[in-house]
Formats: sequence, structure tokens, C-alpha cells
Amino acid sequence: MSRGMNNAWAIVAVSALVYGALAVVMGVIPGWALSGTTPTRGLRPLLPAAERGRDIYVSEGCAYCHSQNVRPLKQDLVFGRPSVAGDYAYATPELLSDHRNGPDLSNIGARQPSAIWQYIHLWNPRAVVHDSIMPQYPWLFSVKKTPVRGDEVVPLPAGFAPPNEVVVTTEDSRDLVAYLESLKQVPLGASGRNR
Amino acid sequence: MEAEDVAVYSGYTISATFWLLLTTAVGLLLSFKFPYPDWATSPLLSFGRLRAIHTNGTFYGWATIALVGSALFVAARSSGVAIAAKRSAWIGLVCFNAAALFGTITLDLGLNYGDQEYREWLWPVRLIFVAGLVFSGLSLVRTVAAREEREIYISNWYTIGGFVFTIILSLVALFPWYQKGLGQVAVQAFFMHNAVGMWFTFLALGVTYYALPKLLNRPIYSYSLGILGFWTNLIFYPIIGAHHFEFSPLPWWFQTLAIVFSVGMLVPVCAGTANFALTMRGHGERIRRSYALPFIVVGIAYYFLGSTQGTVEAFRSLQAIWHFTNFTIGHSHATMYGFITFIAWGAIYALLPRATGKEPAALATGLHFWFATIGVTFYVLSLAVGGTLQGITWASGDPFIASVDAVAPYWVGRAVAGSMMFLAHVIFAYNVWRMTLGPNTQRAGWGTARSAALSQ
Repeated sequence: MSRGMNNAWAIVAVSALVYGALAVVMGVIPGWALSGTTPTRGLRPLLPAAERGRDIYVSEGCAYCHSQNVRPLKQDLVFGRPSVAGDYAYATPELLSDHRNGPDLSNIGARQPSAIWQYIHLWNPRAVVHDSIMPQYPWLFSVKKTPVRGDEVVPLPAGFAPPNEVVVTTEDSRDLVAYLESLKQVPLGASGRNR
Repeated sequence: MEAEDVAVYSGYTISATFWLLLTTAVGLLLSFKFPYPDWATSPLLSFGRLRAIHTNGTFYGWATIALVGSALFVAARSSGVAIAAKRSAWIGLVCFNAAALFGTITLDLGLNYGDQEYREWLWPVRLIFVAGLVFSGLSLVRTVAAREEREIYISNWYTIGGFVFTIILSLVALFPWYQKGLGQVAVQAFFMHNAVGMWFTFLALGVTYYALPKLLNRPIYSYSLGILGFWTNLIFYPIIGAHHFEFSPLPWWFQTLAIVFSVGMLVPVCAGTANFALTMRGHGERIRRSYALPFIVVGIAYYFLGSTQGTVEAFRSLQAIWHFTNFTIGHSHATMYGFITFIAWGAIYALLPRATGKEPAALATGLHFWFATIGVTFYVLSLAVGGTLQGITWASGDPFIASVDAVAPYWVGRAVAGSMMFLAHVIFAYNVWRMTLGPNTQRAGWGTARSAALSQ
């Protein structure tokens, strides 16, 4: 076999060396450095119910349409203040997303504080936003003839409730809404950047 | 030609075609959920779960298996030997299929790691995929190592490189220790772009460097341009990932670096495109009469268009409008479909009949080509316009739902385009059957004058 770059294994070795170095510099080191970002002052880890709700958010792929990343641009300010690095200190897996078929949810807990609205919206988004293209999530609820003690009945508008039945929340929908309500940006301190 | 070489290539192509049909049927279903959001309401058919099945399945089931099959065949033919370590090639194929199968099932059950695009599969599934890379990569390298010529043909530089990069990339993306919060965003930026540009781009360019000169029956215009493209793609590409997170809290300089090297990507893109174009120059008539060459021509055109689109998209002024919109979905179809998938088809139509001695149906191949070409072009244009309108409504301060209303007609256009593309895939599947398991039509063995006339 010939020597130098006419050797197949030499291509393997040189490719591995060059790309391995680039992968460390462009992937591993930035990842490692930013994994230790200090939390934004006042940011708290999620409570257990919200944590379970976040798992449902991940599992159902909500991030394929909803970002959690407010850019420092005029058109994004409707969603909240621009996101800063410390906002994501407790957010693994990260859910910044690069899709916005639906609105950004970084601050949805403050922008839409009503749990009732969230339940109706999850049951059928078209019940509250006529032109919405969000899917329905009926499997996060339970449908009953008559509610029992302790059931939380979702007050659906006429035409969206199943006939002669009621829709009640389940642990899944309560956890998911607990997560959505937990999404409140903490104000940045007077010291400024708070990174 | 050794019968088992033919079996390996056929096995890879048939598996890939199965995943193409399944995962683009899923894509088609998803496209109809935009105009009809209440349709097919069920956890197993919900948008949030099926989307990752579509993307991972087309990437790792279809494009990977199809291009690896062609790469193995190209390695053998360009080295003048049979495929080496065939058992390894078969184990690789089993791993790829197992990963795609388990990945599809687990994603449908809602098991994923968040929207870490193109690495949503659970880690054991991703390890099976890496094992597939190692086994089939071993077969590839050993084939090239067993060659008779002194020089390693340029195709094999690209395909061997692709395997090495992707094995490293997959492992870097797998370990969790440096992927917490914003750190994970940085790794994701690195991964998602490299998964495309260090794997599919290298495989597709590699098989093009073999199939194109073979079909034209003339040497590649410049070996040096090919080597220039290899090194510049290798050095520039790993740096551009952060352009997916512009205006995010990732360090500003890190984003700027990504934008600068996105412009640098014009070097390998122009080198590759020019090399292919100059090889084809003066052979228009041959392209018109071939059924494989038109696929490769469209693939090269979309390589150039999709890549320059990516460079332009990276500029902050434009990213401010286009980021988060459906423009990016159009871009990913221009590249992963217009470029990668068309090259995969072109390579299969160019090489598989020479291996099996069975020709595809001429009319079906023509229909496949036109449905796919018109389909993807209409798809990309629909979402380019629709996505731009989305971004403009946001910038003009309209209520959010106005952006949904603005893009809605273009989503219908996309669903129509997607239907045409899916129809093309069904026709392709018929042709794959004709070229592999179907009845013997022509005897067009490798290197015979008859096959040269038939396949060009």
C-alpha cells in the first residue's frame, strides 16, 4: 500500500484529528463554558408539579411551534423583556426553539395568568382563538357523564363541549398548566445585564 | 461483478426506499394538519410527535441508508475491487434499520429529549445508529484500502471523511456533561448544522464526484477544486452552527463568527458547483437523453441555491425577519430534498441498474423526476413567500394571529407540493422494485456497451 494521503487510513486519521479539534473548540468548550451560567437573580428552579408539566411540554413537542427566546428586537418585546443567559440556568433540556408557528412562551405565565383559559385552549384552541392552528390535546383531559367530588370541570363555550358530558382536568393537564403559569420572566436588577 | 456486492447495494436501496415512503407519508400528514388542525387528533398522530419522526426518519432512515449504499458501491467500483468486509456492511444496515425503527416507535410514544433537532432519539437508539456508522464505515475504508490504484479517488475522500466526522459528531452530541441550559443550546447549534453539512453534504458530493463523470463518460473537470472543497468545507462548516441562534443569549461574538464563516461557505459551494458545471459543459444533449443525469443536475442546482440561501439567511438584517418563520422549513427542504435527495436518486438511477442489470421504467422515471422537481420547487417557493410574510407581520407589530392568517394560503400550497413529492416517491419505489427484485428485463451488466447506451 502506498503512503501519505494515498492511504485510506491516513484520511481517517487526519479527518479525525482536524474535525475532533474543531468539535472540541466549537462544541464541547462552548457547551461546557455556558453550562455553568449563573442563574438570573431571583430565578427559582421549578416546583415538582411544574417540573412534571415541563416533561409533558417536552414529550408533546410543544417547542416545535413555541419558542422561549425573546430577542432584543422591537417585534419580540410583545412577548417580554429580551432573554438573558441566566434565564436558562435550570432549563435542561433547553427549549429555546427556532420555530414560532405559535407565540413565544418565555413569559406566558404573566401574559396569560388564567388557568381556566389555558385548560379551554388545550382542550380545543379554536374555542378561544378562532384562527388558531394549534392541535387539540383531549388526551390531557377526562370526559365524564357527571363530575365527582374534587373534579375540576373545564367551562367550555357552547359548541366545544362533548354533548351531555363534561370535561374535567387530569394530573397531566394540571401539571402542564402549572408549568405554563410558572413561565414568568424575573425582572432584571438595577445593576443591568444580570448575566 | 460479485453477486453479493449487488445484494448489498440492493439491500441498502430497498431499506432506504421503505423509510422514504413511511416518513414522507408522515410529512404529508403533517402538512395537512396546518389547514386542518382538527384532523387526526390522537396522541400517536399528533403534530408534536410526528414532526420528529419525519425529520429523523428522512435523515437517518432514507438519506443515510440510500447514500451509504451508493458510497459503498462507489468505493468498490472506483477502487476496482469488491466491497470489503461485507458482513460489516450488512451489520451496518441492520443497525441503521433498527435505529430508525426503534427511533420511530419511541418518538411516537412521546419519548424524546426536547426539540434537539435531529437528535431527538433516545440515547440507546442513537448508539445503535453510531454502531451502524462504525460497521458500514469500516467496510467502506477497508474497500478503499484494498484498492489496486495508487491514488484514492476523490469520491472516497468525501465519503470516508463523512463517516469519520459523523461518528465524532454523534458522540460529542451524546455526552450530557457539557449540555446544561444554555450550554446545551451551544452544543445543539453545533450539532444540528454539522449533522447536515458534515454527513449528507460529504456523502452526496462524494457520490456525485463518481456518478457525474461516469454518466458523462469524461473525467471530472478539476481534481484540485474537489480537494479545495473538501478542506474548506471541513474547516468552515463546524464554525457556522450558531447562526441558528442569532439574537439569542449565546455570546454575540460567537454568533458573529458563525455569520462570517457562513459567508466563507461560498468557497466550497462555488468550488463544488463550478467543478460539476464545468464537467457538464457542452454535454446538454447527453443530459437531456439520460434519466439519471437530470436528477444530478437538479441536485447540483439546489446545492448551489440552497447553500447560498443559507449564507444570505445568516445576515443579521435578514435573520431578524426570517428567524422563527417557515422560511427555514423551505430552506431545509431546498437542501435536504432538492440537493441531498435528488443526488441520492441520481446516484441510484446511475449505478444500481449497472449493478443489477435491471433498468427502471422510462416513463415512471420521467414522472418521478417531474413530480419531484416541480413539487420541491413549489414547496420551497411557497414557504419562502409565506415565511417572509410571517416575519413582516411580526415586524409591523400586528397581533400574532395575523402572521398565522398571512401564511395560511401558503401552507395549503405546501400541502399540494408535498402531495406531488409523495407521488414521486411512490413511483420511485416502483422503479426500485424494477431495478432490484423485479423481473429480468435487460441484461445490462457493468461496463457493457448496452448498459452505457441504456443508462445515459
